[in-house]
Formats: sequence, structure tokens, C-alpha cells
Amino acid sequence: MSTPTQSAQSLLASREINHVVVLGANGTMGFGSGVLFTQAVPRVTFLARSKEKAEQGLAAAKAMVRSNTVGQRVDTGSYDDLEKVCGEADLIFEAVTEQLPLKQEFFARVDAARRPDSIVATVTSGLSINTLAEGRSDSFRKNFLGLHFFNPPNVIVGTELIAGKDTDPALLDFIELYSEKKLGRTMIRTHDTAGFAGNRVGFKVLNECAILAEQHGPALMDKIVGPYTGRALTPLATVDLVGWDIHRAIVDNIVALTKDEAHDTLVLPKYMADLMDQGTLGNKSGRGFFMRDGKRKLALIPGTDRYQPVDEIKMPDLSYIAEIAELHRIGRYDAAMAAFVAAKGPEADIARKVISGYISYSFHRVGECTDTITGIDLIMGQGFNWAPPSVLVDTIGLPETIAMIEKSGVPVPSILAKAAPGTRFFNHPTINVGKFFVAG
Amino acid sequence: MSKEVYILGGYQTDFARNWSKERKHFVAMIRESVQGALREAKVAPEEIESGHVGNFAASLYSKQGHIGAFFVEADPAFSGLPTGRHEAACASGSIALLAASAEIEAGRYDVQCVVGVEQMKTVNAAVGGDFLGTAAWYELEAKGIEFPFPKLFGKLGDEYDKRYGLKDEHLAEISAINYANGKLNPNAQTRTWYMNKEHALASDEFNGAVGGRVKISDCSQVTDGSATVILASAAFASKWAARNGVKLENIPRIKGWGHNTARIRFDDKVRESKDAEYVLPHVRSTILNARKRAGIADVSGIDCIETHDCFTTSEYMAIDHFGLTAPGESWKAVEDGTIALGGRCPINPSGGLIGAGHPVGASGVRQVLDAYKQVTDTAGDYQVAGAKNVQTLNIGGSGTTSVSFVVGA
Repeated sequence: MSTPTQSAQSLLASREINHVVVLGANGTMGFGSGVLFTQAVPRVTFLARSKEKAEQGLAAAKAMVRSNTVGQRVDTGSYDDLEKVCGEADLIFEAVTEQLPLKQEFFARVDAARRPDSIVATVTSGLSINTLAEGRSDSFRKNFLGLHFFNPPNVIVGTELIAGKDTDPALLDFIELYSEKKLGRTMIRTHDTAGFAGNRVGFKVLNECAILAEQHGPALMDKIVGPYTGRALTPLATVDLVGWDIHRAIVDNIVALTKDEAHDTLVLPKYMADLMDQGTLGNKSGRGFFMRDGKRKLALIPGTDRYQPVDEIKMPDLSYIAEIAELHRIGRYDAAMAAFVAAKGPEADIARKVISGYISYSFHRVGECTDTITGIDLIMGQGFNWAPPSVLVDTIGLPETIAMIEKSGVPVPSILAKAAPGTRFFNHPTINVGKFFVAG
Repeated sequence: MSKEVYILGGYQTDFARNWSKERKHFVAMIRESVQGALREAKVAPEEIESGHVGNFAASLYSKQGHIGAFFVEADPAFSGLPTGRHEAACASGSIALLAASAEIEAGRYDVQCVVGVEQMKTVNAAVGGDFLGTAAWYELEAKGIEFPFPKLFGKLGDEYDKRYGLKDEHLAEISAINYANGKLNPNAQTRTWYMNKEHALASDEFNGAVGGRVKISDCSQVTDGSATVILASAAFASKWAARNGVKLENIPRIKGWGHNTARIRFDDKVRESKDAEYVLPHVRSTILNARKRAGIADVSGIDCIETHDCFTTSEYMAIDHFGLTAPGESWKAVEDGTIALGGRCPINPSGGLIGAGHPVGASGVRQVLDAYKQVTDTAGDYQVAGAKNVQTLNIGGSGTTSVSFVVGA
């Protein structure tokens, strides 16, 4: 047995996790993350505002993973039980509503009740870990970290790990390995920046598509930046699925706390804010960029609050997309992306601008959000199911990518500009890069 | 002329992928698999002299025949190469390997590319179950029957029960081990699935019976996937070893093979074996022939096994047929930990068909690739420490065609 394995085993053995408490266990991220722990620990306590709500979380967890055996490892309770069970727990996992004061209130209670050596993790998707830990005890801050699962956690394995300034580095090493080996996660360490790495990059692209949809319409935008550009789900359908309110909370938080070369693309378009005032929230409200009328799919008419059947929208000539998709279909991804770079027409220009912006923005975030591009690559691939920026560079070719970015009018990242010819940026040993190129 | 057949490397696609959801043709799978194998094995496409494709039923799943021709589409350098497709139901991949290795032994070619491939998610479960029924005698055993194969392998369990007694808890443990091993395999279909022994034992809305005593957790699941290995003669392997700075004797070889075909109907097989020591004597013979050709006296010379656990009952059968226990006592190797990772002779460290997935035509090649990974100490988290000799068992139909290889350096 090799030395790294031995050191990994001793690191895994350095702490014991036998009891996990989940706060907010009636929410999707609460029960969805909580159920992951039932595969690794004998006791998981689901807490919610009432025991009934915690029971609902347990029922949803069973349905999510299709196993009644979840119930053999889960007990439930209300927040009245918080002090007692947090005193017994090895890990307290916070998944309450994404509001800073509410989370801080829970952490104050946890801080008073927990054992000094227990781990406290938050599933926040973008609130600052350092801010959340403000005012807490030394032992709390030392044992506190962000563990950002993506929804649904039983399917999406990409997970961000975020340290606060006082987090014990040995704890980070342990949680990283524990999550990989015991929970089947792909772990990405990010810095404590707004939206961390995945949402920072991902919602930049989604919001830019939303901005462009005001002029071009959501149906055309989802065609132009469709699956053939390296994603399973189209951008604006993704925003509808996530919910416009969540989208707004994420981009507003990033806009408020950061300033970067693509700041404008992260500002929520006013038409979305206006429609939200009328109750448009995406799928959860029955209408967003798209809605359904029976079997018919309708799309928002730009500049209005009305919808039209997608199949009645007059589309420009998009035959280049069909040609690229056909190359993906037979596995000729290099040729497909060469055709993407060479495609003519204003729609291809828009697509290249969005994709160039994605690549450029990702590489510009190295150092700010993650230490290397690999972290951003992994969270975009394993969290968003998008072709990671490095996969796009490798597939398109380095000089061709730089030329495309320059032509699109977005800044060329210095990492690309300085890279030696022939550099390959994505070198993961087991991820099939072909899976990111969808023939649609 | 040397008769040795070397394995230079290979590649498998991620068996969790759904290529229909990616809206892809199976040629994309062949291309990714073959290109990956060339890369891993450090062999140039121009060096490949012949291509063999193992595939069960593209003619049904994709309405496409002439699958051997699609090998040529995997690389521009392959135009004009001799290729062929091999079919023996779930043993198709192994039959392709046998043909390729026989051509090397005969001195026809020095470098062969063998790819197993199946795209199964093109149709729903009921239609797919009917297609799989053609691996049995369709008219007599499958026509008009929903999910015929779980029922046939349920009958295998019943036969064990009748002759020796069989407890569901042992089948559940086999399922749990395969799923647990699959979690260690980055290419396994089920690596993110929720499973434990209690679930495998449960009979409820999430784990219903699909074929007599066979429940969902007892079944391997259909999926899409491909695996490829590059085989070479001693002459080419010597050159390859020199240019890669390795010793010829450290390159894994196919040390032995076994191959038998029994009567196709399950009931005929069982009737023929009613007075025999083993429930499926032809499977036993295949295993013994492979070991004999490898010069390995018995199972004590085997460090781990990749077997055909299309159902937990088929692995239960394999345990005593491999000789890990006396006939009918497979439960002992389940109970005493022999077959678990870390045990005396782990079975399916990869997760097998249940954990890793069973894209039918790919499974035989995937087994040999996993054997190669084990003996080259490159299996990662599912590595069996110090594995020197690994034996495979690949079965087509209800124990009808059986093929076994011994892989070792």
C-alpha cells in the first residue's frame, strides 16, 4: 500500500463522525444533504421548525433516494431540541433559509450548545463564511466551514469547500477527504468570495443570457447558447428551474460585494425585476422565461409580460447549430467546436461572445475564487454540468480560443495569453469530457 | 512463433452516462472508447492492424447492423482495416477478445483493438427487457413475458434452493458488496446510488420483485457504455516495451482462456445437470479450462475475480463454480468475507455488473480491462493489493455461452 493512502487513512481516522444534526431538514438542501450523511454515519438528526416538518423532510429524503432504510438512521425533532442534540453531535449541518440574520441566530444557539470539538458546516450558496462566523467563540470559528452541496445533492457531486479565516486547516483536509471518500463528493476548495466559484461564474453566464433575452427573446437565446455549446440544460430554462428570486439573490449579492471586468453582465435586467413584481418567479410560479399551456411551450415576448408559442416564433437561419450538433452526435467534438468558431452570422457572434465571456471570466477568477483553474473547471463540470472552461479551450485549441475571445471583445486572460503552445488545461484522469457536448 | 497475447492498455467510458440524453449515436461511444484506449496504451492509430467489435443488439436498440464497420469511423487511420462484429449476448465482448487473441496466436496480426459497446437507453425498460429476451430462446422463454431474464435467473436461485438451500440474506450481501465496490470506481454506473444491505433485504415499494426471488437490488441495470483494450503479439509487445522503457515480462498477458456453450434453454441446462456436482457444469468447465491453460492449479492461484453478476444469483453460482467453496456452499464465502474487498479473493472489486453497470456488449471487455488494471496496480480506490493473477467470467444468456480469461504478468 502506498504512502499517500496510508496518510489518507490516518487523516480519515483523525476524527470520528457518528452523529450529524441537520438544521433546516425540511428544505431540499437540508434533507438532500442530510440523506448523504446517512450513508456514512449511524445517526442523523433532522431538525426543523416543528417535528412534523422534520418528518416531512425525512419522507422527502426517502423518496429522493428511493429507500426506506433512510429511516433506520434518522431521528427527527424541532428546534426546541436544538441545544440537546447539538450537544451530542459530532457535526452540525446548517441548511436554514438563506438569510444572514436567521443563520446568525441559529449559530449563536449552536455555539452555546455544541461541544468544543464538534464541526459546524453551512450549506450557504454564497453568504460570507467569515461574516456568518462573526461574534462566535474561538472554538466555533476554528471548527466552522462552508460545505456547499448543489441541488439535488444525491445526483450532483460537485461540492464547494470554503474556509473562514480562522478555520483549522487540518479540519479542512479532513472534511475534504471525508466528503470524497465517505460521501462520494468531488471537492473544490474556494475562497470566501461572493457566490464562491460556481455561482459566481455560472450566474454571470445565466444573467448575461437574461440580459440578451430582452432584445433577442428567451427562445432564441436558449437556442444560441444551447446544449451544443456544452451544457445539458439551456441557460434560461435553468434560471426558470432555479427560480428568479434565487437568481436575483445570487447576482445581487455578487454585484454588491465584488467589482470585476464583467460587472455589468451580473446586474439583474430591469425587465426581470418588473416582472418579478408581478409574481413571475420561474417554474415555481408557473411562468418565467417560459411557461406551458397544456402540451405547448410558450416563451416570454421581449418587452412585454405576454407569452407566445415557441413553435410560432420566426427564427433566423440556425442551420449552423444543426451542423455542429451532428458532429457532436458522432463524437467529433474537435470538428464541432472548430465549426462553432468558424460559423457565420449574428447569432453565431452572440454565442461566441457568451462562450468567450464564460472562458474569460473563469480564467480571470483564478486567484480570486480558487487557487487554480482546476477548481473552477471541476465545479462547472461536476456542479453545473457545463463543459468546463478548460475543456472548451482544449477542444477549440489555445490560439483559436484566444483569437475568438479577442474577436468577441472580451479581455483575454493572462493565463491563456502566457500559456505555452500545446498546453492542455484539463487533465482529470476519469472525467469523460465528451459528456459535456450535447448534440442539441 | 510465440503464442503469447499481451494487453497494452485500454479505456472504458463512464457507465453512468446516458448517451441518448446526450443525443448521441453509438459511434460517438466507439470513438471515445477507442481514442481513450490508444491514448492510455500509447499506441498510434496507424499501428492497429485489425478491429473487433463486441456488440449484442445494436440492430434492435439502434436499428443498425454491420457494427464492425463503425470501428473504422473511430479514426481516419482505420480506413481499410479488417474489422468484424462478434455477438454472443452478454458474452459478446469476450467472444470479440477470443477472436482477436486467436488471430494473434495464429500470427495473422500483431496489434488488435477490441471494443465492446452497447447503447441501451434508446428504449424504455419494457421494450429493452423484451430485446434482452432474445439472448434466451426467445419464442420459448421470452416472448410475451415481461422482463424474462430476472425470471430465468430467479429460477437459478430456485434451483440452488432446491439442491442446497439458499438464503436471501446472502444474495443481499452480494448486492451490497457490489454496490459498495462500485462507489470506489469512478466509472461505475451506480457510484452515486443509495444502497445498503438493509435496502437489499427489504421488499417494499422501492425494491419490488421482478422475477420470483429476484428483486430490483439483485439486478444489474441496463446502461450505455463501451470498453476497449489493445492486444499485441510478443513481437510488437517487445518493441512497445523498449520504447516505453518497461520490461516485457511486466506487461500483462492473457494467460489462459476457457469457452463453452451449453444448451440455450435454461430448463434444458438444469435437466442435464441434475446428477452433476455443479448446477451449470459448462460454466465450471470454462473456468477450469482457463486456469489450466494459464498453468494455475486451482483458485488459490487467483488473487481476485471479475465475474458476471447480471443478478446476485449468477454471482452466487459463480462462487462455488470458481472453487471458492464446495458446490452448494457459496454462502460460506459470503459470510466469511472471502469475496469482499480485503478478503482472500475479492469478487468484482470494480462493482461488477451490479455496481459498475452492464452495457451488454461491453461487459466482457470491461472485465478484462479491470483485470489489467488490477495486475498493473492502476485500479485506484478499488485496487486489490498485490494482485498478480485475475480471472474473469462472462456469461451470455442463462448460463449458455461462458467465457473466462486469466490475466496476469
